[in-house]
This record gives sequence, C-alpha cells and structure tokens, in this order.
Amino acid sequence: MGANDIRFTDFIASVIHDMKNSLNMQINGLEQFAAECRSAGNEGLCERLGPLIYEASRMDFNLVQLLSVYKMDNSIYPMDVSEQPVREVIDEAITQMSSMLALRGIHIEVECAPEDCWYFDRDLVTGVLVNALNNAYKYTRDRIRIASRIDGEYLEIRVEDNGSGYPPGMLRDGFSQNRRSNFTTGSTGLGFYFSSLVARMHANADRRGELAIENGGAYGGSCFVVRLP
Amino acid sequence: MTIPSLSAKTLIIEDFEGMRSVLKGICKTLGITDVEFATNGAGAMAMLSKNRYDIVICDYDLGPGPDGQQVLEEAKSRNYVGYGCVWVIVTAEKTIAMVASAVETKADDYLIKPVSAATLESRLLKLILKKRSFGEIETAVNEHDYQKAIGLCDRLMQSKPSAAADLMRIKADLLLATNDLEGAQALFQSILAKRSVPWAKTGLGKVYFLRQDYERAKHLLSEALDESPVNLEAADWLAKAHEALEEADQAQAVLQRATAVYPKSPVRQKALADTAYRNGDLDVAQSAYESAIKSSENSMHKSASNFADLAKVLAEKDDPREALAVLERGRQEFPDDAQAAVQTAVVKAMACRKMGDRHGAEAAMREAGELIDGLSGALSPGVTIDMAKTLFALGRGDEACSLLKTLVMENHENAALIDKVNSLLDSQHMRDAGKEMVEKSRQEVVDINNKGVLLARNGKFAEAIALLRKAVQRLPNNAVMVGNLCGVLIGSMKKDGKDEEIVMEAKMLLARVSELSPRHPKYHEYMNALVQLG
Repeated sequence: MGANDIRFTDFIASVIHDMKNSLNMQINGLEQFAAECRSAGNEGLCERLGPLIYEASRMDFNLVQLLSVYKMDNSIYPMDVSEQPVREVIDEAITQMSSMLALRGIHIEVECAPEDCWYFDRDLVTGVLVNALNNAYKYTRDRIRIASRIDGEYLEIRVEDNGSGYPPGMLRDGFSQNRRSNFTTGSTGLGFYFSSLVARMHANADRRGELAIENGGAYGGSCFVVRLP
Repeated sequence: MTIPSLSAKTLIIEDFEGMRSVLKGICKTLGITDVEFATNGAGAMAMLSKNRYDIVICDYDLGPGPDGQQVLEEAKSRNYVGYGCVWVIVTAEKTIAMVASAVETKADDYLIKPVSAATLESRLLKLILKKRSFGEIETAVNEHDYQKAIGLCDRLMQSKPSAAADLMRIKADLLLATNDLEGAQALFQSILAKRSVPWAKTGLGKVYFLRQDYERAKHLLSEALDESPVNLEAADWLAKAHEALEEADQAQAVLQRATAVYPKSPVRQKALADTAYRNGDLDVAQSAYESAIKSSENSMHKSASNFADLAKVLAEKDDPREALAVLERGRQEFPDDAQAAVQTAVVKAMACRKMGDRHGAEAAMREAGELIDGLSGALSPGVTIDMAKTLFALGRGDEACSLLKTLVMENHENAALIDKVNSLLDSQHMRDAGKEMVEKSRQEVVDINNKGVLLARNGKFAEAIALLRKAVQRLPNNAVMVGNLCGVLIGSMKKDGKDEEIVMEAKMLLARVSELSPRHPKYHEYMNALVQLG
C-alpha cells in the first residue's frame, strides 16, 4: 500500500487516538491532584479543579464518540452485545453527568425495574444515554426523567425533561438535518448521529434498533427515545 | 459506599506507575487495603501462583511480554483463579483484539480508560456480590462433584436472577465437561429460543460437533461468527468442523482470519500452522509456527513440538540448515523433554536426508529408536507417523510397519488416525498387505476388549480383570483398554466391596486415561464412583 492510500479520515482517527491518550493522562493527573487537595484539606482548590476535570472528561467523551463513529462507519467497531443490567447502565450515565446536573440543581428521576437486563453493547448505550442527558440538560427547566421498560421484543429507554420541548423544525426534519454542524451554538450534531448509528447497530433476528425524538412525556417537555431489539 | 467485609485481597497488574497509584487510590476509597502490584505479565503470574486473590485489576497492554489476556488465560488454566475471583480488565481503547480476548477468556468486565473512581467502585461492588455465591460452585468442582455444582447453579439461578446469565454459562461448561451433551444442548436451545446469543450459539455448534453432526455444527458456528466476529471460540470450532468435513482450505481461511483478529494465541496459531502444513501451504505454516513459539514464551503452551514442527516445515521448504538450527534452539529450551527429544531426532533425520546426508539420517534415527525405549508415556501419533515415513525412506520398511502396527493397536478406535496409517502404507505401494495388517491389528484389540467387557457383564470379574490387565501391560497407551480395565475394577468393588489396593490401581488407571484421552466419555462417571468408594 502506498502513502496515497492512507485516507484523511484514517489520519483523523489516529490523531484522535493520540489526543485521547494525552487527555487520559491529564484527567488522571487532575484527579490525583484533586484527591491530594482534598486530603490536605484544601477544599477551595479542589472545587476549582472540578470544572476542569469535567471539561476534560467532556472532551474525552467526544473523542471516544468520534472514534466509535469512525470505527462503526468502517465496520471495525468491536460490537460486544451481551446481557447488561439496565439500571446499572443508567446509573453510570447519570454519574458521568452528576457534577454538571448538580451545578444547575436539576432533579433527576429514574424509573427502571432493578432486575431488568437486556442485550446491548454497554459502552455504546452508555454513550447514547450521556448524549441524551446532555441534550435534556440543554432543554430542561429543572427536571429530567429516565424511564426504561421491556415490552416483549424491545427495550425502550426514554429520557424526558420539563422544558419547552424540541423546536418544531427539529421534530419535522428528524436527525438528518442535525448532522449539519452549527459552529456558533456549539451543537455539533455528533450526539444524534452517534446515537442513531448505535441504534441501527443493534439487531435481533430481523428487528433493528430505533431512535426517536418527540415532545410530551411525563413532564410535557422533550423526549429522547431509544428502542433496542 | 464500601464493600462489605473487606478482606478482599487484590492484585493490580499495570505497567504504568501513574496508573498504578490511581488504581490503588480508588481501591483505598473502596476500603480495600490488602493490595499488591505487578508491573508485567511474568511478575503477575508469579504472584498469582503464590496467592489466592479475590479481585484482580489488570491492564490489557502490559508492554513487552504477555498481555492481559495471556495472563488471565494462563491463570485460569493453571487454576490460580476460580469462579469466585473478580477479574476486571482496564484498557486504553476498545479494539477488536481487546474485546475478542475479553470474550474468549470470560473476563468479568472491562473498563476503558480513564477509569473513574465511581465507575470502578460500582462495577466492583456488583461483581463481588454476584461472585461471592459462586465460591460454593467452585468448591464442588474442585471436589469433582459436578452434579452438586450443577444443582447449585440451578438453585442460584432462582435466588439470584441478576446472575442468571453467568450461572447459565457456568452450568453449560459443567454439562460439557461431564459430557452431558443432551443436557447442554437443551440448555443452549432454551437460551436461543429467546434470542440469538453468540456464546449459546457457539455452544450448540460445539455440541453438534461433538455429536459428529458436522454439517449442522458448521452452519451454526459460521452464523455465530458472522453475528459476532469477536467470538473467536466459534472460529476455532468452525475450523474443526471444516476439517472434519474435509474442507481443509476453508478451515485454514477461518483460522487465518481469527489469528488476524487476535494474533497472540499460541493454541490457535498452532492449529493454523498444523492445518496449513497439511494443506501444503508451507509459508503460512512457517509463520504460524513462528508466532506460536513467540506468543507462548513464558506460557504453559510453550512446547517443544512447535520447534520440531517448524523445523519440519523448513526442511520441506528446502532449508534444512535452518531446520537444524531451529531444532538446536528447541533442544536448548527443552533439555529434559524426552518426547521432544524423539521428535527432534526424527525431524533431524528428515533434514539430514534432505541434505543428502544419509549417514547423519541413519544416526538420528538410531538415536530416536534408543530414546523411544526409554520413554515412559506414549509417543504422539504424529511423531510416530513421521518416524515411520523416515524409516520407509531409509529402506527400513519392516521397522516402519512394526511401529505402525503398535500405533494402530494403541488407537484402535481412532478412525482418522487409521486412515492416515492406511494412506502412508498406500504411498509405499503396500495397499493390500498394509490394509490387512491394519485390520488384523485393530480386530485383535477389539476382540480382547469385547471379551473382557462380556466377562464382566456376566459377573466373571476375576477373569475379566486378568485378561484386561495382561492387555494393558502390552498396550499401556490404549485409552479404551485402560478405561475398560478401570471400569471393570470399579464394577468388581461394587459387587465384592472395597479394596484399598484396587482403588489405588483404578485411580492410577483413570489418571492415565485422562492423560491419553482428555475427553474420555466415562471419566467423570468413574471419578465419581471412586470418590464414593473413598
């Protein structure tokens, strides 16, 4: 293979990988630093480190997502569909967002049978939920609800908020329009694109996963719904 | 939140100092203080051999030497860790090779860096609670009481539905280990009735394979592999099914794809090398044997026969000098391996012949002959056939035939091997005489066996024992015969009561059976009976 055969996206992927490693070292370092501050009783400094760690983790999350999209697009993502405890996965996604949610005093509610298990790729679905929470964070007034249920052939997870809902244009155009990045608002569209890819990657017999957005739900705000067969 | 009763002894295997202290810090916040460290695979193996750990946190990429998968695989097969141990892999990136290895070794979980304290904490806590109850199953297995272990699985599935998936896998393993193919099949089918789960589909394919329903096995296993390309166990069994159906090229292709996904498995590399060698693809065979040698350094799969097999390929590739060099390397690595010494001598004779050194070849064969006389166990069938081949080439057909005759008598139920012997004799233009010799040898053993079993069935244990003892003395490596003698001894004790000496004899025979034939169908039944007799 000649040098010209290396595609631009391959370059991006390997650079992302490299950045991710550097970022991981930074995050680990910051966390250690925060722990030292805490044990030295310097709560003030520790609190100032919190947002830094959060922002670095957000970057890491985005890079991981980009890398996953790259791999899914190139059919080299290592899908690992196995039985997973749904409640645990939801809790983990919430934990990743907890500092940010606490900052705005958002109340979060989970409705999920504790013993429910379902088959999916844990890392991908956690990513989808973190995206949905990010989204809800943007749209909500002060409440978010995550509800999951198994209806025979599908696991359905809904992330709802009590904001004023998705703008009509977004509901009309679905996810395709969202792929156009908006550099001014910082809404890259990556999250929806990633989530719809993930939904489609999950299949059982002839059924495939689905993603939907709608307004309404328990709080009458925006709802993000993922259904996995 | 802290983990209840924190006597959890923990090992952290991680090559980076920074990450080690991060993980140690997380353990500390969990209240786990009994933490030890290893910085590479070899160090980890040393620690695992000395201590029983409740939790192991292992980095996947450990720098040069064995990776996290190899450490776990080795630890499991050496029984350093059991069902009760929580083994979590941490990895910088979720790659196909990493996921494939986690699936294959059945690691409990894997976490992608950066590992947050909250995530590790919640995962560890749940795993510990889940696995605590598996300790009982492990105890039953260690006592060879498989029925009890299976019963425990069923009971726990009721009381702990959240662990049901793990318990079903353990139960399936136990059913397969005790050769309860019907039970295993029913279990896999009940899982698959609900959805296509890769490990269950692979398991069902395995059952079909073991029942010699190769077409069905092939169909299912290739489906399982398509649905989950990281599921390399399916690839291994699919290759075996292709092999059994005489689709050798496809078997090789499957193994080549699987070794490309995860190259560091010495067992799979060896399987690929053997298949490629049989297919006459010497280049692939050479590189796969080389990979097998490289990836089995520091591992229990390290084997002298890899060196001899590589040398054989090199000799056939008209590079006999390199072949001799490889043999020398093998000899240095395994100075005390008597089996390997025979094989080395045989391959040396092959290489010498290739170089036109008839004298050297004769000398090597003499050496092989002397080594065999001093050998305690059975010479492997492959080496015996190579040896016979070389003897034929040196014009010593009589000796070759006598070797082959013993080989047939020691493996009289192994149809594939008997085919090989026949085709070797065929290639020496002795088809009819050869076939007759093979058939006569086989029949002789069948007759003795049948007679022994019939005598025992009619209650004439003393006569049966005398007959089979004599036969075992003559053919100490015939697994069927050794197994039957063991069974007859057990039967005689069930009738006439226990006898210490006979119990000892039966135990030794059974150990021999499992050495000669690791999947002997009666092994667990006899083991159970002997445990009952005490």
